[in-house]
Amino acid sequence: MAQMVANAVRQAGVNFVDTVAVLLPRILITASIVAVGWIIAMALKWVIRWVLAWLHFNQGCDRIGVGTVLKTADLPPADVIVSLIVFWLVWVGFLLSGVDVLGFTALEGMVRGFALFVPRLLVAIVILVLGVVCANFAWRATLIAAVNARVPSPRVVSGAVRALVLILAGAMALDQIALARTIVLTAFAIAFGAVMLGLAIAFGVGGGGIARRILDHWFPEQPRTEREEFRHL
Amino acid sequence: MKPQGKPSDPHWYKDAVIYQLHVKTFYDSDGDGVGDFRGLTSKLDYLQALGVDCLWLLPTFPSPFRDDGYDIADYYSIHPMYGSMDDFKEFIEAAHARGLKVLTELVLNHTSDKHPWFQEARSSLDNPRRNWYVWSDTDDRYSHARIIFLDTESSNWAWDPISKQYYWHRFFSHQPDLNYDNPDVREEMWRVMKFWLDLGVDGFRVDAVPYLVEREGTTCESVPETHEVIKFLRGQLDAHFSDRMLLAEANQVPELVRPYFGDNDEFHMAFHFPLMTRMFMAIRLEDRKPLVEIIERTPAIPDECQWAIFLRNHDELTLEMVTPEERDFMYDEYARDPVARINLGIRRRLAPLLEGDRRRVELMNGLLMSLPGSPIVYYGDEIGMGDNVYLGDRNGVRTPMQWSGGWNGGFSAADPERLAFAVISNPVYGYQAVNVLAQERTGHSLLNWMRRLIRVRQSTRVFSRGSIALLTPPNHRLLAYVRAFEKEQVLVVNNLSGTVQAVELDLQSLAGAIPVEMFGQSLFPRIGTQPYLLTLAPYAFYWFRLRRL
Amino acid sequence: MADESLLSDELLRQLVAVGHVDILVGVPTLNNAPTIVPVVRAAQAGLSRHFPRARTLLFNSDGGSDDRTPALVRDSTPDDVETLTASHPLRTTHRITTPYHGLPGKSSALRMIFAVADLLSADAVVILDPDVTSVTPDWIPALARPVREGAVDFVAPLYPRAATDVPLVTQLVRPLVRAAYGWRLREPLVGEFGCSGRFAAHCLEQPVWANGLVREGVDLWLAGEALAGGFRPGQAALGPRVVAHATPRPGLPDVFQQLMSAAIACLEYHTEYWLARAGADEVPEFGTVAICTETGPVPDLQAMALAFARDVTALHPVLETILSAPTLQGVAQAAATAPDHLVYPDDLWAATVFEFVLAHHRAVMTREHVTQVLLPLYLGRTAAFLLEHAASSAATVDDALESLCLAFERAKPLAAAQWKKA
Repeated sequence: MAQMVANAVRQAGVNFVDTVAVLLPRILITASIVAVGWIIAMALKWVIRWVLAWLHFNQGCDRIGVGTVLKTADLPPADVIVSLIVFWLVWVGFLLSGVDVLGFTALEGMVRGFALFVPRLLVAIVILVLGVVCANFAWRATLIAAVNARVPSPRVVSGAVRALVLILAGAMALDQIALARTIVLTAFAIAFGAVMLGLAIAFGVGGGGIARRILDHWFPEQPRTEREEFRHL
Repeated sequence: MKPQGKPSDPHWYKDAVIYQLHVKTFYDSDGDGVGDFRGLTSKLDYLQALGVDCLWLLPTFPSPFRDDGYDIADYYSIHPMYGSMDDFKEFIEAAHARGLKVLTELVLNHTSDKHPWFQEARSSLDNPRRNWYVWSDTDDRYSHARIIFLDTESSNWAWDPISKQYYWHRFFSHQPDLNYDNPDVREEMWRVMKFWLDLGVDGFRVDAVPYLVEREGTTCESVPETHEVIKFLRGQLDAHFSDRMLLAEANQVPELVRPYFGDNDEFHMAFHFPLMTRMFMAIRLEDRKPLVEIIERTPAIPDECQWAIFLRNHDELTLEMVTPEERDFMYDEYARDPVARINLGIRRRLAPLLEGDRRRVELMNGLLMSLPGSPIVYYGDEIGMGDNVYLGDRNGVRTPMQWSGGWNGGFSAADPERLAFAVISNPVYGYQAVNVLAQERTGHSLLNWMRRLIRVRQSTRVFSRGSIALLTPPNHRLLAYVRAFEKEQVLVVNNLSGTVQAVELDLQSLAGAIPVEMFGQSLFPRIGTQPYLLTLAPYAFYWFRLRRL
Repeated sequence: MADESLLSDELLRQLVAVGHVDILVGVPTLNNAPTIVPVVRAAQAGLSRHFPRARTLLFNSDGGSDDRTPALVRDSTPDDVETLTASHPLRTTHRITTPYHGLPGKSSALRMIFAVADLLSADAVVILDPDVTSVTPDWIPALARPVREGAVDFVAPLYPRAATDVPLVTQLVRPLVRAAYGWRLREPLVGEFGCSGRFAAHCLEQPVWANGLVREGVDLWLAGEALAGGFRPGQAALGPRVVAHATPRPGLPDVFQQLMSAAIACLEYHTEYWLARAGADEVPEFGTVAICTETGPVPDLQAMALAFARDVTALHPVLETILSAPTLQGVAQAAATAPDHLVYPDDLWAATVFEFVLAHHRAVMTREHVTQVLLPLYLGRTAAFLLEHAASSAATVDDALESLCLAFERAKPLAAAQWKKA
C-alpha cells in the first residue's frame, strides 16, 4: 500500500510537472500579450489625448454641458475619460486574448461573460451621461422659457422637466445593463406616470387661465386691433 | 430743289426759313461805321446761298435810338444812316429777284417821345393828337399791369412836365404808348402798313402786340379789344393784298398766344417763346421732359397759320414764361455771371450760351429745323458768333457781322472807334477766329453745315407743314417724334445728352418702313414689330425719311 | 462692382433708360399695401419739392407681395395737381418696382437696391421703411442733402422720443453701440437712412449677404459697417416715427433674442475695430430734433418690478454661470429692492450687458440661452428707469440716458480686455 501511495504521489507529481510544463509557456505568452497590450493601450491613450486636445474636444464638451457635469461629479476632463476608455478597451482586449491562450475553459467563460457585459455597461454610462447633459439643457431651456413667458413657478416646472429626463435616462441605462429589468420598468412607469399625472392635474386645475390665454393668442376670434400698448422697439 | 411756296403762294411763310438781321450791324457799304441798305443788298448772295427764304429786318426808321430803333420818330421814312428810300427800294427789288421775302418791323404799341405825334399831343390838352396817347392825372390807374423793363423802369406811368399829366408807357419811359381806343390811331397805323406794303415789303413783325389796349382791373395784356384792333388791321391787309404776312410778338404761354391767330383773321404767324426756353432747358437737363410738356401744351392753330420758332434773337433770352424754379435753373446754368442777366432774361448769343460746343449748337439747330413751325435764324448764329455782355442793354447780341478776319471783321472800312458797336475780338469768338470767309473755305464749318441743314429741311414739306407725334421711349434723354405730311413721314431722334445713348423705339405702327437717313442717304434696317434699337453719339440727331418700297 | 446676376434683363432694360441718377430712394416691401401709398407719395413729393433739378429714381424692391403692393407703388400719383407755377420737377421722374431674388426679407431687398445704386452711380441713396406712416416729404432732403453736399457718407435718423419710447434702443442698443464703436449715434437701428453711393457699393461687396447676421440684423449691421468701415457718419432730424405693421410682429422674447444676437454678431464681425476704439466721438447732427412733449404709454411698472425680482431668483443658477460674483450680487441686491424702490444703477447695468456679451462670445452655454436670460434683466432695468423718469422732462431724460452711455463707456475697457483673452 505504501508503494501504491508513493506511486500515486509520484505520478501526481509527474502529472503536475507535466501540467506546469505545459502551462508555463502559456503563462509566459499570456504575460507577454498583456504587457504588449498595456504598452499599445498606453500609446493609444496618449495619441487619443493629443488628437482630442487638437480638436478642442474639452471646449466642445463644455459647450454642450458635459464638462460641467464632469466637474460637478469631480471627474477628470472629458478627453482624459475618453482616452482612459480607449486604454481600457484596448488592454482588456489584449487581456482576453491572453486568457484565451491559457486555455482555462471556466476562466474563459467568466471572462467572455464579463467581456460581453462591459460594452453594455459602457453604453449605459454613456446614456446616463447624455441623460444628465440633456436633463441640464432641458432644465435650463425650460427655466428661461418659463421665466420669459411668465409661467408661474418656473423652477418647479424646470425641475420637473429635469427630473423626467433623468428618470428616463436612468431607466434606459439600467435597462441597458439588464439589471432588475422588470422592477426597473415597473418603477419607471409608475414614477413617470405619477409625474405626468401630477403635472396634468396641476395644469388642469390651476393652468386653465394660462391655457385660455395661449389659445386666444394662437387662434384669435377676431383680428387684434391696434391698441396703444407699450413698445420696446 | 426747293419746293417752297411760289412767289404768289399766299402761305409762303409756312415753308420759309427766316433770317433775322440788323441793318445797322450787317454790312457797312460807305465806311461810316454803320451798316446800311446798300451793304445789305451786296450781301444778298450770301443769304441766298445760306438757303433762307425770308429776311426780317430790325427797325430802320428815323429814331433817337434810345431803344436801338424801336423808338420810332417817323413811320414813313428810312433813317439816313441806313441809306435813302431809293436804297431801300433797290434792296427790296434785289431780294425779291433772289426769291427772298422781306419782313420789316411794325412797332404798333408806342412811338418815340420825339415823334411829332407825341410832340403835338403833349403841347396842350386840346391838341387834336392829344387822344392819340394814353394820359392820366394820376399814376395809379391800371395798377395790375406789370413792369416789363424791370431793370430801368419803376412805373408804367411817366410825368410829362409840359402837359402836366402822366402818360402810359409799357416799355421805356421815352416810348409813350399809342391809344388804340382812338379810331384815328388805328386808321393811321393801317396807312403806315400800306405805305410799306406798297413798296414791296412782304410782311411785318408786329412788336409788343399784347399791350395795345389797356383796361382797368386787368393786367392790360391781351385784353379782348386788342384783338379787335388786330382784326381791323388784318381785314384791311386781306382786302388789299393776298400774299402778305403778319407775325405777332406775343410773349405768352401757348394757350394765350392762340387767340392771336383768331379764325385766321388776326395774325398769320406768332412766336413760340416758351418752346425756345424749353429747348435750352432740355439740353441742359439732358431730359426731354420740358420739351414734351410744352409741345403737348401747344394748341392747334388754323391750317393757314404757323408758329415762328427760334433759338435766339435781338432781345434777351426771355425767362418770363417759366416758373421761378425754372428761371433760377436757367440763370444758374446759363448766366452765372449776373452781368449776363437783364430784365427777366439772359443777354447772350447762341454759341456762348452753349459754351461754344459745336455738337450742342448743331443739335439745337437740328431741333429748330425739325420741330413744327417756321424757323428763324438770328444773324451771326450760322457762323457761331459770340457776344459782348458789357455793352449796355441788349446791344451785346447786336454786334457787327463778322465777314472776315480783316479790318473790323470785314464789316466796315471805318475806323474801329467809329463803329456803332465794337466788333467782337476775343480769341474764342473774335472776328479772326469766327468769320464767314474762313468758314466758307472750311469743309465742315458750321456755316457749311447750316447750309446743308437748311437744304435738307427744305427738301420736304414734312417739317414745315406736317403733324407731330411724340414717341416716348423709356430713355428720357432721347426726344423722338414722327413728322408726317400727306404721304411722307420722317422719324426724328435727338440725343439730348452729352453721353452716348441707346434707345429702343416702339415703332410697330411704322412697321415695314425703311429708314433712310436724310443727310447721308444711308439705309437703315427695315422697321419691324420688335423694338427698334438705335445708338446715338453725344448730342447727335437723326432724321430718317421713312420709305415704303 | 454690383452683382449683375441680381438684376433681371427686364430690370436692366429699365435701368438703361434711367441712366445715372443723383438720388435713389429705395423702398423695400413685402405685403405693405395698407401703408405703402403715403410713403411713396411722400418720397415723390420730397424729391420734386426739394430736388427739382436732380436726376432721381424711386426704386421699390419687393419680396413677392400678394396684396398688390407693387401695383400700388407703380400707380400712386401725387396728391397735389401740378400747375405751371406750382413746384414740379424739371426732369423726368422715374419709378421702378421689381421683385428681388433670395429669401424674403429686408436684407435681400437692400442688396438689390444697393446693386441698382451702384450701377446707376447714384450720389445719394435714401432708404424708407414702408411701415412708417409718419413719413413726410421733408425726410428726403434731411437724409439726402448731407450726403449730396459731401458732408457725410451715412445719415442715421433722429426722432423725437418720449421718455418711455423704445427702451430696447435707449437702454441697450444705443449705449452698447456707442461704447463699443466709439460714436455717439442715437438711433443705431436705422429703419430709414441715407448713404452715399460709395457706401452702398462698399456694403454690396461684403461677403455677408447670405449669412444670418445680415439676414436678421441688417439695420444694425449697416450702422456698424458705417462706423467701422471708415465712413463719415451723420444723423438727421426727422419727425416722429409712427409704425403700423401690416403683418403681426413677433413677441418681445423673439424680438429681444433677434436683436441681441444681431448686436453681438456685429461685435464679432467688427471685433478688430471696436477693440481698438476708445472714447466716443460726436456724430454731426443735421437739423434740430423736436422735443417730444407726449409721455407715451407706460407699462405696469410695479408688475415689471415684481417680475424682475421673481425672475432673478428663479434664474440664479443660470446667472451664476454668466455673471461675475460682484455683478451677480449687485443684480440680486437690485432685485431685492423691487418693487417699491427698484434701482438698477447704470454701472451695474453696463457691467451686466458686457458680461452677457462676453458669455455669448465664450459660449459658456448655448448662445441662444445667454441672450434669452438677459431679457428679464433688461425688463428690470427698464422698469427701474421708467419708475424714475417716466414723468421727467425731456432734458432730465436726456441727461439720464447720457449718464447711462457714459457708464457703458467706463465698462468697455475691461470688457475689451476680457474679450481678447477669450
